[in-house]
Amino acid sequence: MSQSSFMLHSKISDVIRNINQVMVGKEEAAILSLVTLLARGHVLLEDVPGVGKTMLVRTLAKSLNCEFKRIQFTPDLLPSDVTGVSIYNPKTTDFEFRPGPILGNIVLADEINRTSPKTQSSLLEGMEESSITVDGQSVALKKPFFVMATQNPIEYEGTYPLPEAQLDRFLLKLKMGYPTYQEEMEMLERTSGGHPIHSVEPVMTLEELVQLQEEVDDVYIDQTVQQYIVSLTSATRDHESVYLGVSPRGSMALMKAAKAYAFIYDRDYVVPDDVQYVAKFVLPHRLILTSEANFEGIAPEDIVHQLIEATNVPVKRNVSE
Amino acid sequence: MKEKSSSLLLFLVYAGGFLLLLEWLWPLDILTDTQSVSIFYLYAAFCFFLTFMQVPWYFAVPLKLLGLLFILDGLFIGERIFSEAWWLIVYNQLSYNLQAVTAQEWWELTAFFRSFLFLVLLWLVSYLLHFWLVIARKAFFFIVLTFVYITIIDTFTPYEGQASIIRTFIIAMVVLGLLHVQREFGGEDVGRRSRNPLFSAIPLITVILIAAVGATILPKFAPQWPDPVPYLQSATGGIGPGGNGNVVQKVGYGENDSRLGGSFVQDDTLVFQAVVRDRQYWRIESKDRYTGKGWEDTLEQPVTSVGPDELEYSTFEDDVEAEPSRGFLDFTDQANFRKLVYPYGVTSLGNLERPIDIALHTQTGEMETRAGNDSVQPERYSLNYDAPSFELNTLRDVTGGDPASIQEKYLQLPSSVTQRTRELAAEITAEHDNRYDKAKAVESYFSSNGFEYTTTDVAVPEEDEDYVDQFVFETQQGYCDNYSTSMIVMLRAEGIPARWVKGFTGGELTDTDTELFDTTMNSYDVTSANAHSWVEVYFPDVGWVPFEPTQGFTNNADFYTEVDTDPSESGQDETESPEVDTPEQEEQGNPQQIGEEEEETAGTASGGNDGISGTTILLSALGVLSVIGIALYLTRLRWLSWYYGRRFRRQGDADAFQSSYRHLLNVLDKRIAKRRSDETLRAYAKAIDHRFEGNDMQRLTNQYERLVYRKEDRLQRNDISELWENLIKKALS
Repeated sequence: MSQSSFMLHSKISDVIRNINQVMVGKEEAAILSLVTLLARGHVLLEDVPGVGKTMLVRTLAKSLNCEFKRIQFTPDLLPSDVTGVSIYNPKTTDFEFRPGPILGNIVLADEINRTSPKTQSSLLEGMEESSITVDGQSVALKKPFFVMATQNPIEYEGTYPLPEAQLDRFLLKLKMGYPTYQEEMEMLERTSGGHPIHSVEPVMTLEELVQLQEEVDDVYIDQTVQQYIVSLTSATRDHESVYLGVSPRGSMALMKAAKAYAFIYDRDYVVPDDVQYVAKFVLPHRLILTSEANFEGIAPEDIVHQLIEATNVPVKRNVSE
Repeated sequence: MKEKSSSLLLFLVYAGGFLLLLEWLWPLDILTDTQSVSIFYLYAAFCFFLTFMQVPWYFAVPLKLLGLLFILDGLFIGERIFSEAWWLIVYNQLSYNLQAVTAQEWWELTAFFRSFLFLVLLWLVSYLLHFWLVIARKAFFFIVLTFVYITIIDTFTPYEGQASIIRTFIIAMVVLGLLHVQREFGGEDVGRRSRNPLFSAIPLITVILIAAVGATILPKFAPQWPDPVPYLQSATGGIGPGGNGNVVQKVGYGENDSRLGGSFVQDDTLVFQAVVRDRQYWRIESKDRYTGKGWEDTLEQPVTSVGPDELEYSTFEDDVEAEPSRGFLDFTDQANFRKLVYPYGVTSLGNLERPIDIALHTQTGEMETRAGNDSVQPERYSLNYDAPSFELNTLRDVTGGDPASIQEKYLQLPSSVTQRTRELAAEITAEHDNRYDKAKAVESYFSSNGFEYTTTDVAVPEEDEDYVDQFVFETQQGYCDNYSTSMIVMLRAEGIPARWVKGFTGGELTDTDTELFDTTMNSYDVTSANAHSWVEVYFPDVGWVPFEPTQGFTNNADFYTEVDTDPSESGQDETESPEVDTPEQEEQGNPQQIGEEEEETAGTASGGNDGISGTTILLSALGVLSVIGIALYLTRLRWLSWYYGRRFRRQGDADAFQSSYRHLLNVLDKRIAKRRSDETLRAYAKAIDHRFEGNDMQRLTNQYERLVYRKEDRLQRNDISELWENLIKKALS
């Protein structure tokens, strides 16, 4: 963690403490998940099974006192299985809406690439619009609404990879990675006498969480830093290995994430460090590389890294004030 | 595309550098006798081009060397290039000059070698500027040097730096602007660049134009201190009459007249005081050969050695009426021409502070003063002279032919003299039947007919132009050299022998009752500005008679008409007979006129002793300035730290803090660790603190971040000054 020496926001540090009780060595993922949550975004986790994706999101939900829903995507899942369905009630002689799992606060969409595009889009529409349409009726989603979708990078058979345009809807893409030897040892130690998740206590209410989201909106971002963001994203469009660069939506996402990140570190203004840090998670999944680059094994992460290195950090006050 | 646009920028910057270098070279043409200056421009351009194209050194070096040899070949070597004889010449030149260098006899260096060194210098400069502008991307220092150079050249020489300053300003601003664009947008901002060049160029050009035009038009203060030139000259004691060799047309007596023309600056340094009864023209020498550009001596000159008691030289025959007179000259230490200054009819010297020999050039009247084998400058001497008076009827009546020796020497004209000059001469003299009236007609021709006396804005003839033709028909603006030379050329065209005389006019009357040799005499101050040239016309049986064609000057020679038995008092202007028509009856002592009085210009580099002091001043001034410049540059971090520290302590506000902080970054960058351009301040501060084992930099940076990224206007901490000082101290120690 590049900034662990700096003070965390007090509420956030309570959440992190909870997560640290349950998980070992997942502080970075936890912070990034919180960044997404506070920026009203959604996160895409790409990792092999069993590294603690579900545990992370469950702990998060419990700490935040949120309603937690889980959708296990399978090839035969239907959009109505996600959104819910209207059922005829003979007593009232009317259709009654039975809400689907998407109407929770924190939704874990497991193995999202295993289901058909139609079902995927029912979830993605909700992520984008904050509402869903069922039988011609618009149903507002809950607030806060946070989707953590997972993708298994190993299996490609019978999967429906998310289209690039859909990937854009996720604020961040994370990889959890395997724990180190010591971390894994400690994990075994902790879980041998019953899973610690049961002892997690909520540290804030939903209202407080919404309040924090609003405070994130008030974080100040100066024009100099905005210029830095735009130079980073526009540079992706000119990179030789990139077929399609980051869209303006990507710039907005980068700004939102940087603001939330600054807020988590108890700052009410964004510094270029915030941008540099979150860019590594916000930008890569928005790049489409050329086939040559793919062939040469260049990863989008490498390109983002290169671009950060090649872009001058603004260190002077913007004179055009 | 990224590469292309940024290399175009750099090309423009480098081209700007080349233009700035040209500003260094322009004065060469005007201030020195360098010929074919354009060759040097071409070579500089050639070197710049090769350097910029990044031609590999194993091509570039031979190419440049070849170019250099071709130029030297074209300029100096007549032999077929690379032939045996050719190499021999090169070898001889090099070995001769290297010997001169080892013997430190700098004045012995030949034009070949000097050109060679100069070409090598241009080569090096092209490389240096490439490094400064394209690699280091810093232009400021070079620009400052250019300005300093131009201002010095402008101050100390007749070179007019005004246009140059404006050009330099514009080029410099463009170069700085482009470099700034280059640095700001670097390589990463191509998306915007594609339509950017125009957008960013418009404000740049507008600002530069407004600044340049505004600065040119707006009224400016007069100089805030007196002209330093005379002061420096008196301090170094170098320049006076004869010291005009400051390579420039500076008023005063000089040796080299082979290229006349050009403007000059006034110099009222006192050269000598003359105590005589009447105002005299002070003769030094004459010259006989007109080249179309100026005057030269015929090479073989009879020289005889004479003693001060018996000078045995006279410009007129014995039977010319003459009145024995005495005078006394007292030279200041500005006088350094080592020749006698004498009035017409001088017979002997006295009151010398030490015995001297005199080498008399019997034809020109030049009298070199020597003690043993050395030239010396007498400090004072008294004079006995027979002031001549010429009888007009005698002059009109001379009929005898000119001796062959006179005809041979004093009717010479170069082929450059144009037909229209000859025609004009014939036209002016047509209605007169005798030599005197013809001479008077030509003499007075210049007092009207649109001629204007001026010391500024005087042209130098082009390579294919005749000096006289240019003056008489084109410019009609000039000073004594123009007038006297033109008169001689016209007289010679009419077959009248005439020669060109150099010396001083009478000077300014300062005292009317100086006691000398038991009589009361007048005292005159003769300054460098009194240097003058005039005409002597040969009359058989009479000798050489002085004429004064220059507008606004009165002939000092005395003429009279023998009407009855009243021989006029000789030597008195006032007794001139009525028909002697003096062009304008202006009083010579008129101070205004003295102010714009004559001189003698050495339009070109004059050799020998009289060039040194001026150049030395210039060089030493340049040297001192560059040493100061370099010292300031090398210690800039320290004195800038002192400055920023002081400023911040005084002002204590956010603005002062920002510049102080940026200076701190600069110091740390240079002394401790370089900050990568992608490194955030926070990360850099952390690295610095790690190095210093503290957290001062992070605390300071935190404050700075709030100003920059949060747009706060007030400082949150009060220990900033202390933190800053600590860090600066650590960084500089």
